Amino acid sequence: MKITAKDIMSRTFHTLTPQTPINEAVRLFKEASREEGRKIFGMMVLNSNGELAGMISMYDILLFMRPKHTHIWGNMDDIDVAGIVETACLRTTSVLVGDIMTPEVISVTPDTHILMILDIMIKKHVRRLPVIEDKEIKGIVYISDLFYNILDRFTT
Amino acid sequence: MSKSDKNTLSGLVVSQAMRRQIIKLNKDASISNSINAIIKYKINALLAVDDSDNPVGVLSKTDIMGAYYAGIPIESSIADIMSQPPLFCYPNDALESALQIMRSKGVYRLYVVDSNNSKVVGALAYPDIVGLLYQYCCDCEYSHIQQTKRSNPATIKRTLVKEIMTNEVKSVFNDDTLSYVMEELSIYRFGAILVKNRENIPVGVISKTDLTLAYKHGVDSLALADTIMSSPIQSCKPDDILEDAIKKMIFSDVHRLFVEGSSPNELVGVFSLSDAARNRSGSCHACVSSRIKLEA
Repeated sequence: MKITAKDIMSRTFHTLTPQTPINEAVRLFKEASREEGRKIFGMMVLNSNGELAGMISMYDILLFMRPKHTHIWGNMDDIDVAGIVETACLRTTSVLVGDIMTPEVISVTPDTHILMILDIMIKKHVRRLPVIEDKEIKGIVYISDLFYNILDRFTT
Repeated sequence: MSKSDKNTLSGLVVSQAMRRQIIKLNKDASISNSINAIIKYKINALLAVDDSDNPVGVLSKTDIMGAYYAGIPIESSIADIMSQPPLFCYPNDALESALQIMRSKGVYRLYVVDSNNSKVVGALAYPDIVGLLYQYCCDCEYSHIQQTKRSNPATIKRTLVKEIMTNEVKSVFNDDTLSYVMEELSIYRFGAILVKNRENIPVGVISKTDLTLAYKHGVDSLALADTIMSSPIQSCKPDDILEDAIKKMIFSDVHRLFVEGSSPNELVGVFSLSDAARNRSGSCHACVSSRIKLEA
């Protein structure tokens, strides 16, 4: 039996817009995790026409928060600059989801075979893939669902 | 890098100071998408490559600001506005000679190519050089940070901010247009400019990053300065030790500090990471011999 994206994708998902401020996005990540009953580490970003404009993950946000010269810190006994974390956080107030999302996103269709999905996830280092048909978002495939779907074949 | 590798700064080569993570985009990518990479990776410029991954140009925040000023649609490709060709150096070049190229060509970064296969392996930019110098100072037993740990610290004359700061502070008013702010930044070749209100009180700073974000967010270039400026103003004192000022900049990811006079509302100078890289290397007078001499 052919198992494809539509068999393992989540049909309920939360999305953001490019205009969502980053600090608001962090709140929405928590809210989405609560409502979906799973840890959400990345979300789809939709434009005003409801089409996929990009993806943003917690990793993107952390990458933006990371001070640029961290390679120097390894040698430092004490990082004692007052307010350093606050400064990093303050910077997020003027930045929007659209500024740091990944704009060119790989997606699959409901009929994409799960082994193809597995291949894309490994090659492209992504953990979630939007499922799109005729520009309409049908769902999202998480690497964990893919993993358990394949794993269950060994255990049953 | 082991400590024995860096006995003197003057013996350093490019590969010891370069950043190995190269952010590149296809030249057909949109300006809008390039801004995402620049903001996320906190870089001032990225490398544009062709379909065969050959470097063809450099896109800096200055180029992006120029496009914003000229009203170029943000979906245009970066090939339309990038500077070309990219300038290169080699991993084994002496750091001093690379700095000399940067100074003579008036650029803030060079891309580093492998001499064997001409692949781009790194990028050399002023802030990274300051970072390296700072690391060097921290390791030095005569540095302020090492000496303060001792019971009887040696008296060493430290370089102070006032000795190398620029004594003139250009500013715009908070009701000037962004278009005017961009003209000023462009004329004086600044990365950022101070914003004052009509009572001459400093109220914020507009950097090329702020302008890049304004372009991305679709802010009209005739909007007023105070709609996008950043505050509070990051500052230091004229008598602060250079080592501390550099530390503040590299840890807080700011490229310049304004220097306060008798009150926080009176700013008497500005001091940037590029100034630190261009004019001086060591942060105290203990290691004159190892200092890179760059004064023309």
